[in-house]
Amino acid sequence: MIEMFEYDFMQRAFLAGIIISIISAIAGSFVVLKRYSLLADTLAHVSLVGVSIAILLDTSPVYMAIIVSVIAAWMIEYLRSYHKIYSDSILAIFLSGSLALSVIIISVANEFNSSLFAYLFGSILAVSSEDLILISIAGVLLLAIFVIFFRSFFFIAFDEEAAQTSGVPVKWLNFLLVTLVAIIIALSIRIVGTLLIGALMVIPVISALRFKKGFFYTVIIALAISLISVISGLSLSYHYSLPSGATIVAVVLGMFIASMLINRRG
Amino acid sequence: MSSVISVQDLNLELGNETILKDISFEIKEGDYCAVIGPNGGGKTTLMRAVLGLQSYSSGAVKLFGKPLKSFKDWNKIGYVPQRASNMDSEFPATVREVVCMGRSSGYSLFWKKDEEDVKAVNSAMELMEVQDLQDRRIGELSGGQRQRAMIARALVSNPEVLVLDEPNTGVDMVVQQKFYALLRELNKKRNITIILITHDIGVVADDIKSIFRVNQTLLASDTPHEVLSCDDMSELYGIHAHLVDGHSHD
Repeated sequence: MIEMFEYDFMQRAFLAGIIISIISAIAGSFVVLKRYSLLADTLAHVSLVGVSIAILLDTSPVYMAIIVSVIAAWMIEYLRSYHKIYSDSILAIFLSGSLALSVIIISVANEFNSSLFAYLFGSILAVSSEDLILISIAGVLLLAIFVIFFRSFFFIAFDEEAAQTSGVPVKWLNFLLVTLVAIIIALSIRIVGTLLIGALMVIPVISALRFKKGFFYTVIIALAISLISVISGLSLSYHYSLPSGATIVAVVLGMFIASMLINRRG
Repeated sequence: MSSVISVQDLNLELGNETILKDISFEIKEGDYCAVIGPNGGGKTTLMRAVLGLQSYSSGAVKLFGKPLKSFKDWNKIGYVPQRASNMDSEFPATVREVVCMGRSSGYSLFWKKDEEDVKAVNSAMELMEVQDLQDRRIGELSGGQRQRAMIARALVSNPEVLVLDEPNTGVDMVVQQKFYALLRELNKKRNITIILITHDIGVVADDIKSIFRVNQTLLASDTPHEVLSCDDMSELYGIHAHLVDGHSHD
């Protein structure tokens, strides 16, 4: 168990994974309660467009994924807020559209290879020192923003209109939340992969909801489930040479089934 | 008494449909008003437009003398929307967490729970008699308890105006009577201006000082005695109305 930490890449993978599991569980709590669970999956697919562009232009995939995801998140929120289009319809358009676009870009770049596979499903080998520095700095900043706006995000998730009439800048904070989600997703693609990060953001929260606690404890339980899943998933990934993202999501699914069994009366 | 809400020539059209037409009225500090009218008559839309939740086509709305667009003192207004009584029962929020939301923003984005916030939350819960329920999830409560928790949330910022949209949906008669007694107390003892969107015409007639009859346009605004005639009610609801003389609380 301990010997895996002798490798630099495992230390980096664990540190990055722990940071991502914390911020994705907090962001996921608000996203799930706003009935916006598919946002994470959609932005994950959009981030693949960023990765594809980066591969084509031979530049940093993480930075490009952040830029593309944030722009898409703003477009999604703009269409939802100002054009009153159903959220799930907007997400369906962006989800399939971005996947199509990224396949075209990758085809043009002629890069259907193992490096793309790592971005789709995550790889413990993929986190570089630069990635870890970026994930750490962004993680601390994102965590600080969530702490500052925690109550306001909670109020908006509970009742958007009541929050607005209490003076909460709802539209501004909705844009902020989708921006944070977009950044978290783009940061996570190294560890969890674009096709699986949605699950890490959403399933711990859905599992935590089964315990029927108040909001604060629901977030704490989601955080614990997310952390356990990432740590166990990365360990299993190392020992059995499995893709890290898929292994993490398999563990988190197991945690969800356990939460259903523990709380089966609910 | 100063004006808390002033509406001038308000018009609201959605597509080719007129929702509200030429509505003007004023609500003064300490008033207890009821907005009545048939379903789809625009009662809720009118109050949503007044609170800035619904954009309108033309006209002017002022809150506490300030134009709606530049109004910032939202802590002066407590709003309990219609769907509060039939909210998502699975939402993970305790009563205390819900009441705390009312303190989450007034002037600043940054929320810090200080001693004053804790006092205000405890006092609002005590007033609405939900202190014993503070650790229960809001979804587990009965309709009446949930309604009291939602009003505690609206009261926690010490508002000067309380707007309630059909607060008694799904609540039995006994709870309704207690609820109206509480509103009467808030109005008389705390001088909170109350605006009630309701169908309970008979119940509110005993307490309220003025009634707004709304069906796309403002048909009348006057004291209950003046507005609640059989002919007026028949005109408002489009059916033959027969009013039974009720009791007085005084």
